[in-house]
Amino acid sequence: MKTKEQVTELLTHFRHAGDQTMEFDEEAILAAYQKNKSSQSLAIKILSIFGGLLASLAFTGFLFVSGIAKSEEVLLGLGIISIIGSLWMNQKQDKIIMDTIRVSAFLMGFTLLGVGLAELDTNESIICSVFIMLSCISLILTRNYILSFVSVLILNGSIITLLICNNAYNLIPIYTAVLALATTYFLFKEARIITKIRKRAGSYDPVRAGLVCALLSALILTSQSGIYPVSPAYFWLCAVIMIAAILRLTPELSGILEITTTGHKIMIYLFVVLSLLPTVPSPAISGALLVMLLSFLRNYKTGFVLGVLTFIYAVCHYYYDLSFTLLTKSMLLGATGLLFLIIYLYTHKKLMPDENV
Amino acid sequence: MKNVQREDIHIISRHSNLQEQSVDKALKENVYNNKTAWQQFFRLLFLSLGVGFTVAGIVFFFAYNWADLHKFAKIGLTEGLLIAATALVFLPRISDTTRNIILTGASVLTGVLFAVYGQIYQTGANAYDFFLAWTIFVTLWTWVSKFPPLWLLYLVLVNTTFILYYQQVANHWSPAFMYALLFIMNTGVLIGTMIFARRKTPDWFLHTVALAATTYATIGVVSGIFGKSQIAFPFLILATVVLFALGIWHGRKTRNGFYLSVIPFSIVIMLSALLIKISDGEMMLLLVSGFIITSVTLIIKNLIHLQRKRIHENERTGN
Repeated sequence: MKTKEQVTELLTHFRHAGDQTMEFDEEAILAAYQKNKSSQSLAIKILSIFGGLLASLAFTGFLFVSGIAKSEEVLLGLGIISIIGSLWMNQKQDKIIMDTIRVSAFLMGFTLLGVGLAELDTNESIICSVFIMLSCISLILTRNYILSFVSVLILNGSIITLLICNNAYNLIPIYTAVLALATTYFLFKEARIITKIRKRAGSYDPVRAGLVCALLSALILTSQSGIYPVSPAYFWLCAVIMIAAILRLTPELSGILEITTTGHKIMIYLFVVLSLLPTVPSPAISGALLVMLLSFLRNYKTGFVLGVLTFIYAVCHYYYDLSFTLLTKSMLLGATGLLFLIIYLYTHKKLMPDENV
Repeated sequence: MKNVQREDIHIISRHSNLQEQSVDKALKENVYNNKTAWQQFFRLLFLSLGVGFTVAGIVFFFAYNWADLHKFAKIGLTEGLLIAATALVFLPRISDTTRNIILTGASVLTGVLFAVYGQIYQTGANAYDFFLAWTIFVTLWTWVSKFPPLWLLYLVLVNTTFILYYQQVANHWSPAFMYALLFIMNTGVLIGTMIFARRKTPDWFLHTVALAATTYATIGVVSGIFGKSQIAFPFLILATVVLFALGIWHGRKTRNGFYLSVIPFSIVIMLSALLIKISDGEMMLLLVSGFIITSVTLIIKNLIHLQRKRIHENERTGN
């Protein structure tokens, strides 16, 4: 939280930084800082989610053991009440310490609704569609960080389940590619988005976190190609879109690294395409690399760490799944390693020596 | 003006007519990574990928069953590679990070050497003594390098050796004893690092070790509650109480939210398990649900209080 003096100094800084015509509502800014004074750390967010998850599990257990949840109507009623209640609580009492109750009620609502609809022998596609609709409505209505984040995850999970239930496996890589494009746009155009949705700019961070997590989970799913039948062409298409998205980042990176000569720029494009071309059968590799680069570009640390972990997983999985002999795999891995070491040696003089891990 | 954060830009943008270009400029100047950060990123990325893929290639090379290759040739080749990698570390004109990444690669190659040995003499790929030998022979490098990723690899090896020893040799040990041992060992490393090398150790390393230690304590206590009676269980409880108290004391003293969230959350899980062990009837499940919500809310409240206190202190000292 900033003091009044600090906020005034900050606003003066913005004026001097170039926007002389800037008009602002100082009262509202101070009020926003006051409201935001306990901005959530990652630990608080994780605690709210896991605490809410455990509490909702115990409460759902209570409903079933006590027999309250025996009737489908009661399940549906309680589910809807829980979801509406969690959103209402958010409007009335937007304190962080209420987050565990809100998340617990929200998750329990979806669980009870899902079980209730399943008990009524409702078609799985309809259940997924209801979840998609409800998560979208929740996303629009709530301004709470955790609920927005969980809504994006429920939306993503419901879309993937809908595709699996309808045996539309070929659409999973397509959905992943669309998700990658949406995430790229969302992170890449941060300034445009927060100035376009000024009043709802608070939703930017949770939606970004949700999109990154959703994309990484979809990428992990695409790496499990042996479990469900997908035509390889769809994976290739997905990977090509991922590579295109990485190429889209290249001009900005060239700008940051002050690479101005056309020859060098062409070399970078060629390097990106040639080094990622062999990974086309596994879009998870290029997708995880895209998340890593995007997150580092926008200094989004959680996304970066998750991207690195998914990248390591995807690379291991890719080589493990290759139907070559161990010797051929060894050659491929060794050659790739040597290539990167040569690139390192070639570029390392141009890159700063000052480093610490 | 220093210390303009993403949150500041978002809040000001929300309550002003600040244009997209100005917001973009402010983000680029104050929040996004600059040229130096990117240069460092690419250096580490290329070097890690290079060493990682090359070592993986070597692992696969020896995993291939070279029936025609004599055992001396197999071991000789691996040792040759190991010596070559270690010799690279002595090159004078390379940075410490490069040196440490190569040493980490050499530590993995040590595992390859013992795996080749195991392949020749059929000792099995998951024998505890394979991991024990690997651990012993990389100890010196780990100690000398003081490189957190290598220390993490070393700790993974130590933990794996203990777990495999328990499964293959000491199966008369109770699970509670095993978890107590792993918990105390990892906490010991954590405390040792904090006392002797706090300044040089990044937070991610300390947090990973602390999380591993807490997970062992949690699983140990919960499985002890639901499992049959074990002599070592009171010992595990005692170790958990003492070390958790120490962790909370450290968290409060250093105002570190990590320890003040992980440890209490672990206690919440343990107490919930105990309540469910006492009774798994409907009222107990309701009580557990309420207990989790209340306790997690209190933990969060405490974290927020701590955060505010820190902010006020920073304001007072002008940081």
